[in-house]
Amino acid sequence: MTPEELKYTAEHEWVRAGDSDSVRVGITDYAQEQLGDIVFVQLPEVGAKITAGEPCGELESTKSVSDLYAPLTGTVTAVNGELDASPELVNSDPYGEGWIFDVEPDDASEVEALLDAKGYQATLEG
Amino acid sequence: MTSDLLTSPLHARHIALGAKMSDFGGWDMPIEYSKTGGVLKEHAAVREQVGVFDVSHLGKASVTGPGAAAFVNSVLANDLQRIEPGQAQYTLCCDDATGGVVDDLIAYLNGPEDVFLIPNAANTAEVVRRLEAAAPEGVTVRNRHREFGVLAVQGPKSAEVLAALRLPTDHDYMSFAVASFQDSPLTVCRTGYTGEHGYELVPRWDKTEALWDALLAAGEQFGIRPCGLGARDTLRTEMGYPLHGQDLSLDITPNMARAGWAVGWKKPAFWGREPLLAEREAGAKRLLRGIKAVDRAIPRAHMVVNDEAGKQIGEVTSGTFSPSLREGIGLALLDRDHTEGDTVYLDVRGKAAAFTVVKPPFVDVRTRG
Repeated sequence: MTPEELKYTAEHEWVRAGDSDSVRVGITDYAQEQLGDIVFVQLPEVGAKITAGEPCGELESTKSVSDLYAPLTGTVTAVNGELDASPELVNSDPYGEGWIFDVEPDDASEVEALLDAKGYQATLEG
Repeated sequence: MTSDLLTSPLHARHIALGAKMSDFGGWDMPIEYSKTGGVLKEHAAVREQVGVFDVSHLGKASVTGPGAAAFVNSVLANDLQRIEPGQAQYTLCCDDATGGVVDDLIAYLNGPEDVFLIPNAANTAEVVRRLEAAAPEGVTVRNRHREFGVLAVQGPKSAEVLAALRLPTDHDYMSFAVASFQDSPLTVCRTGYTGEHGYELVPRWDKTEALWDALLAAGEQFGIRPCGLGARDTLRTEMGYPLHGQDLSLDITPNMARAGWAVGWKKPAFWGREPLLAEREAGAKRLLRGIKAVDRAIPRAHMVVNDEAGKQIGEVTSGTFSPSLREGIGLALLDRDHTEGDTVYLDVRGKAAAFTVVKPPFVDVRTRG
């Protein structure tokens, strides 16, 4: 399940561009399945500066912990507070209610440079 | 997936169920059935209804011949004279020179000339090697790893599932009965690693698949779920049951692990008797304790444990998220003066997270219910 309208990173994050200056970030269905039941999400802070490719949070499952990587360089404008009480949303609805944070990229053209659905799918099959 | 890993007789069943497979002691075993379950759902099934685990990777070995039970009793740590034929016992195979734990295992006493052992998968060959080397004339030690499967049916509805297959269910905790399944002998033990009422079934290798299918079919009305080794780990951690290789090892003695109850201290001989008695007398420097998160953090094996001043006082040996309590729990080897009720600090990826030292189990034990 790799929605066509989204952009992706090789680290299994998706990015959804909308009408605002910010883009929404989450992890892919493939990533949530690999992680297993997510029990804690360590969110970045609103206002934090994040750098593409650098860790900006953590996803913890019953058996392991994984870094959440920033897909873009920019400023965090919102986080999904629902994940504090209901981290399982990342498993049950990774592209919807399981979104993780919004980021306003320093350079909007970075979004276009991310993988498209076909390119991301190829990394999974490669 | 080509590899040197051994496979259970249920390998094809696990693949068909979409299980996430992983190397476990040299065996390719299901960690979780991610398509239908996942660790949390599997854990809940065992606590609330019933789950079935394939643990066929566990070792199987026989010690037989005149004096077999006496021989086992003279080398393994627990006192086999505490049990009668038809009963099982948790015991330890210690290193004679150091008292460190080579393996923890269950011994099934069939009679004075027949003891059946279930060691851990990765340690079976070593346990068998040590027993063989020490066995007196007439006592035979056989590694029977791939002669039998092992299925664990665990949870409050486990007796009803077995009863539906007309298997015995009423025997006491830590005892076993030999039944018949498809004209072949099937050992039904009241044992487990989850803290729930449950059974471990030992069918012949070639009957394991049919038994698995029969259990899932009979258990459907009771909400049975296939459960992987991920849930087995969260369930046993909630009980504070040690896992060899983490909470018990060649470097962690029964005194340190507070498993002295599984040692027959009054026996004249068993492997590791001298060093273990000396350590018991002197007091082990570190002891295995339960830890429970104060902050929102999950302990993981090998995390450093510090005191308030930041001085290292121990190390985490097992840790997980407790699905029942919805918080981080674990076992840690701590300097002996850090006792229940104390606050300790784990180094969680560079941040100090507060934990309370507690006495396991973390949730109620219901094995005898």
